[in-house]
Amino acid sequence: MMKIAVEKKEETARLTLNGRFDFSSHRDFRHASDEALQTPGIKEIAVDFTNVDYLDSSALGMLLLLRERAHNTHIQVTLRNCTGIVQQVLDVANFQRLFTIS
Amino acid sequence: MDKPLNILVVDDTEPNLALISAFISKLGHTAILARNGQEAVDLFRETSPDMILMDVMMPVMDGYQATTEIKKLAGSKWVPVIFLSAAVQDSDQVRGLQAGGDDYLTKPINLTILHAKIKAMQRIADMQRVIVQNAEQQLRDHEENEREQRLAKHLLERIIHSDNELDAQLVERLNLPATRFSGDVIVTEFTPSNTLHVILADSAGHGLSATLNVLPVVEVFYGMTRKGYGIPTIARELNNKIKHLMPTERFVAAALAEINFSERTIELWNGGMPTAYFATHDGKITRKWQATQPPLGIMDDADFVSKTETYHWTNPGSLILYSDGLIEAENESGEQFGKDRLLRALGEKCDEGQFWYLIAAANKFMGLENTADDISLASVRCPMHLPSQDSAPSIFAPSALAIEPSESKLTIKLGPAELKSFDVLPWLINWLAQLKHSQKHCQEMFLILSELYNNALDHGVLALDSRLKFQEDGFGHYLDLREEQLNNLQYGSVEIDLERVMENQVPYLKLTIRDSGKGFAFDSVLNTDISASAKPAGRGIALVKSLCAEVEYQDRGNQVMALYQLR
Repeated sequence: MMKIAVEKKEETARLTLNGRFDFSSHRDFRHASDEALQTPGIKEIAVDFTNVDYLDSSALGMLLLLRERAHNTHIQVTLRNCTGIVQQVLDVANFQRLFTIS
Repeated sequence: MDKPLNILVVDDTEPNLALISAFISKLGHTAILARNGQEAVDLFRETSPDMILMDVMMPVMDGYQATTEIKKLAGSKWVPVIFLSAAVQDSDQVRGLQAGGDDYLTKPINLTILHAKIKAMQRIADMQRVIVQNAEQQLRDHEENEREQRLAKHLLERIIHSDNELDAQLVERLNLPATRFSGDVIVTEFTPSNTLHVILADSAGHGLSATLNVLPVVEVFYGMTRKGYGIPTIARELNNKIKHLMPTERFVAAALAEINFSERTIELWNGGMPTAYFATHDGKITRKWQATQPPLGIMDDADFVSKTETYHWTNPGSLILYSDGLIEAENESGEQFGKDRLLRALGEKCDEGQFWYLIAAANKFMGLENTADDISLASVRCPMHLPSQDSAPSIFAPSALAIEPSESKLTIKLGPAELKSFDVLPWLINWLAQLKHSQKHCQEMFLILSELYNNALDHGVLALDSRLKFQEDGFGHYLDLREEQLNNLQYGSVEIDLERVMENQVPYLKLTIRDSGKGFAFDSVLNTDISASAKPAGRGIALVKSLCAEVEYQDRGNQVMALYQLR
């Protein structure tokens, strides 16, 4: 089970993920996304991958969904602290064309 | 008020029967009365009661035996039996439970306890019923699921076919699903001009839903390839189709390649797939194609980039495509197969290509029986000479009714915008195919058309020098330059005339292509002998010449006329 913390700092809602980000995280990620999207006064949702050790194609799908929903309310989605395997998966999928990745 | 029950009361003493049945009626339930074990079994059969209160010592058949028979009759349905007995020995209770009884109540009967036990048994019976219903539902769902999966598998096998012999000689493939269905597909098809299109697609997720994602991919790929569309146009259409049909979080990573065996080129588009390789038979990687784009079905059409990368092979080898399931597959200790092991296998020397080395390496490392992700691998042999053409692919079905050709004419003029973006050849060949020419004619006409059109565009409008191709790495440079100049094109045109004419009662296709270029000294070109030509340029026109009754350059060399016999 993935634990997702949601915090607001100024105009950014930060989603901090933990562990494996795959299909089993679907429900948790959806709840966390809802919470972040409903946070009043934010302009950015930052997804923090510091503690993520794996992500699969359904995780990429969840990120696309978040991006679409955020886009409808003019919120930008950024992917933070992507290293190692996470960085590799995002690279192969060319997600830098869709998200700001750091 | 509890749900009213039918309760079978079995006792050989009338006062007991009267007492218990009166009490049961007072509780709102219905009592059915039996005076011995045999009567109980018969009444059970007739009335299928919800619960049974069973005396032990009775004439004809005792309570134990009656209970055993009733439980047998009830089968999977649970009908609680409560023994009523004066016997209070532990051994009696054990015997009752062994016969299939569910509870025990000693005589004289305490009605309050009887009430409580009836309620408790009713609760358990309700639970039991729900469990049985769920199990039945689950079994039905399972069977339904099996039926649907069988249907889907049948459908998928029909859609993805490979009945072409040449294809089988050239392409080796492995597709291992993690579940019954794979989200990966490998599909190949020849274009009308005999180049080979290959797609290896990996849909997000596994199983049936992932397979559903790739079905439209397969249909579009086959349809457009047969019509002669190029990889960039197909990739764009696939992207639009998937984006339109599938929800946001569903997408399809894919590598699409066109292999031209006579030009020895591979044109490849990679969206979200692992790096594709060209490995020579002596174990060198001479080209790689990294993913340059996101998977299909994510980008809007306006942002979609269909740019391909082309490689010209100068040593025989294989094009290697695979899904991430291969490099991410783990062995028992959780270690991944990885890119290094893949590259090591590709480094083997082998005249037949490294496909089986790769399979052997993967099998040794993790065993290929149980995989967590779909694994697929395709290898396309790229020899220096075309394989035998005896088994040429059948793109166009021979027309059953060959109509007597009449005279007809099609003229088209393309300006800079059309030259940049309009894929004109499939459109023209489609027109020719509509006129019910034979398969052989269609293929040859497509070849003539594409050779002459490309010459007009490359050497006429874009003024590219084909001698560029002779130089070291010239082919790649030539293609880059071509793309750059085409993108910057502001002036220029190509006019195409397709005319069907009769000469001495023999039908011909007369093709005239005129470009806006400066023309050239054409005398030498037409004299090139195809068999003697080992040069990368000039073979095209020699080939056209060999297929046509007549080929003539006209004007200043910016117009070419080809006469092709249709009978």
